[in-house]
Amino acid sequence: MSSSTSSSRAIFARVLLVITLGMAACYGIVRIFADLNDASAETILGRVMEARAALPRILAEERDLVMFFGSSMTRAGFSARLFDRQLEQSGIEVKSFNFGVGGLNPYFQDFFSRRIHEAFDERDRRLKLALIEFVPFQLTSARWRGAQPAVDSFLAMLASPREMFAMVPEDPTRGLQILNIHYLRNDVSAEITTWYFGQGLETPPPTSDLPEEDEDRQQRLQEIGDQLNEKFEEEYPDYVPSNFNYDWQGAGTIPDERSPETLELFTEFYELQRTPRRLENDKLQRTACCDIVELHFEEILVESFIRIVLEFQKFSDHVEVVLLPRNTEWIQYPPEAVARMQAVLDRIRRETGVEIRDYQDVGFGPEHFSDTTHLSRYGGDVPFTAFLAEEYEPVLAGLVAAGD
Amino acid sequence: MIFNTPIFYLFFVLFVLFYGVLLLRQRPRVYLIVVASLIFYGTWNYRFIPLLVFSGVADYFIAQAIGRAASQRGRKGWVTLSVAINLGILGLFKYADFVLLSVADFLQLFGVTADLPTLGWVLPVGISFYTFQSLSYTIDVYRGEMEPRKGLVEFVAALSFFPQLVAGPILRAKQILPQMHELPVPTWKDVKHGLLLVTAGILKKTVADLLAIPAARAFDSVEPISLMETWTGVLAFAGQIYGDFAGYTDMAIGLALMLGFKIPPNFRVPYFAVSPVDFWRRWHISLSTWLRDYLYISLGGNRNNRRFRNVMITMLLGGLWHGAAWTFVAWGAFHGMLITASHALGRVKAFAMFHQPASRWVTVVKWAATFYLVMLGWVLFRATSLSSGLSMLADMHGLGGALPGPIATAPTILLLTVAIIALLHWMDYGVIRGADKLESKPWLFWLLILLGQTLCLMVGEPSNEFIYFQF
Repeated sequence: MSSSTSSSRAIFARVLLVITLGMAACYGIVRIFADLNDASAETILGRVMEARAALPRILAEERDLVMFFGSSMTRAGFSARLFDRQLEQSGIEVKSFNFGVGGLNPYFQDFFSRRIHEAFDERDRRLKLALIEFVPFQLTSARWRGAQPAVDSFLAMLASPREMFAMVPEDPTRGLQILNIHYLRNDVSAEITTWYFGQGLETPPPTSDLPEEDEDRQQRLQEIGDQLNEKFEEEYPDYVPSNFNYDWQGAGTIPDERSPETLELFTEFYELQRTPRRLENDKLQRTACCDIVELHFEEILVESFIRIVLEFQKFSDHVEVVLLPRNTEWIQYPPEAVARMQAVLDRIRRETGVEIRDYQDVGFGPEHFSDTTHLSRYGGDVPFTAFLAEEYEPVLAGLVAAGD
Repeated sequence: MIFNTPIFYLFFVLFVLFYGVLLLRQRPRVYLIVVASLIFYGTWNYRFIPLLVFSGVADYFIAQAIGRAASQRGRKGWVTLSVAINLGILGLFKYADFVLLSVADFLQLFGVTADLPTLGWVLPVGISFYTFQSLSYTIDVYRGEMEPRKGLVEFVAALSFFPQLVAGPILRAKQILPQMHELPVPTWKDVKHGLLLVTAGILKKTVADLLAIPAARAFDSVEPISLMETWTGVLAFAGQIYGDFAGYTDMAIGLALMLGFKIPPNFRVPYFAVSPVDFWRRWHISLSTWLRDYLYISLGGNRNNRRFRNVMITMLLGGLWHGAAWTFVAWGAFHGMLITASHALGRVKAFAMFHQPASRWVTVVKWAATFYLVMLGWVLFRATSLSSGLSMLADMHGLGGALPGPIATAPTILLLTVAIIALLHWMDYGVIRGADKLESKPWLFWLLILLGQTLCLMVGEPSNEFIYFQF
């Protein structure tokens, strides 16, 4: 080997050393930065991760299992224990779970549903009944655009290693990017970091022109909030705080577990909270982020929703899609939006064969909501859960009987 | 495969391993460059690899034929064939639909509805760059400025050399072919300078992606926005396109340098320009010199009192090179008029002071005027249509009717945008002027490289494509 050849090899070996060690050092700093900011799947998608972690215990339940899979609207509007209790009175023994998680959309929920399916398959179990919430404004193009900074990170958190590796031959650039985020960046992508630190510079949604609320109201709301926290600790002394604590699903949603004073505080709290200004701001914010009124649907999200239904059908005896009550005083669809939504629902029905129950207009008024979309505690979730139990009693009776 | 993605990093590590450590002889290394470059290109769309290879092979043999041709007529015939092939490829893939749609629109003006068929073909990435690069070789041979070179593989390697394949700089055959013939070995100084350029390039790209957000708000928003946000958006786009393109070429030059290849710079602090002519000496230098040498001079240059006509033709076609849309034509025409006007004003006595070695204040006025005019040009460049560009220009000058007030964060975003553009230039200036000094202080050099690379890993939008890929 000539000296020029060996010196050429030496310089390129040095190049290799610099770029590999340098990159390792850079990734080390990125990881330290993420850890210092407590950024991880557990902190970003806490409830999802805790729900996944709880699956082995859920699957150890001997009773038939019912799952309500959905958004924060499901989380707020469905009391699992109340549902079970009411069905028990009719002689139906099931254990139900509230898998309502805020901040996701069907694209992410699709991956979440696959993880649930895997866990059920591992234990060779099936769901007796799966209810999947269809939230029209979660499937809009606006919602999809808003989710973009989180897509890679959430994918790294929710996809299985096999799914991530399978992306590589299909799209090497994206596949390696996701693997890189998952294995080297603790699931935290550059996009989500940029979004997190740049939130303050985002264009704020339009705000209501209605007059500002007086300070007394604000102060009273704050006081009630503090009192309610104290009451919860008093009335549930054994409660283990957790985002997803299945033993306690429905804790705080069953009126006879609460004192009359607490229930009065809740009533006062929601009355103070439901001011026209707050509700209008809430609607404006959801219009900006999610196109809640016009409902221009995004194809990828519609496809994802269909995949969720198909996924649940693989490990459930019976699957239905449910639309939760709508605050009709604030959210009114124009005929074009209704037509668009109907077309999507028809497509879901056609491609999955699933039954869809539309409970958007079943007599729930603004007094049942805490804002323009979420049912309120006691005022909304209790009557809706009772309504659901009544609706699904014959379905579950049939399913349980068939199982026996 | 984008430079600032994990897949490119892996690709580059493997390339260096094979190219520099495992393969020791010239020929296998050249073959490796070809294979790696075609893989690099194929990650966008492998179906277009034959087009790239065809362009190179055709021009290689045409150059040989020019060299062998006994008569001037024969030489001219061969070079015409090369021009026809390259511009034909470009025309078919890039401009055919634009021409057909423009003809249909034109006929519509006379009430004729022409339902002309369009091709709807995908634009091969980097096509404008490699066709121009390939074409320059045959023209140089035709002009007798270089001899046709032997070695088809070397020629294809030079044309497809992955660092500069998809977004330039547009290399001349005489710059790259000799290096492909005798592969260079980088010095440690080259490696360090290459790393500095790569880091500066990634930083530029990262901030360019951040500037894309206010730019999109101004250019893509359906709702009317305030005067301040409109100006911020235009400024942000000025920073975005500079950071994006200069960042890419910095990375390209840096990566090549780490392999020992010398590629001339493509940008020289362009927004420091003090005249439109000066701007084009600093912005996308490889394209502006290409247009000057192969188009402007071919048209006759400054001779025969046709300077203004030739400038306009050159700039119009330069604008069209960027994309098949009337906005790009308008942008080219605008710059053509600016250059023509600045030449014309040079003859007017009242403006003589602006053409003399000037005082600092005159320089500041010239700089401000140039920057303002370049910004106006970017409006046409970025606008989604000619009418929206013109309406934005009107809004910027308070001529487009009442605008809403600024959002609360508008002043902060404006300040940040200005700061980022200043930072981009400071970085550019630092790399040009202070690289040697910086590289002589190892601790500071490596610290900055590490921090720069880490910052780019931490924030940004690494999946965003580069703007110039579409050209």
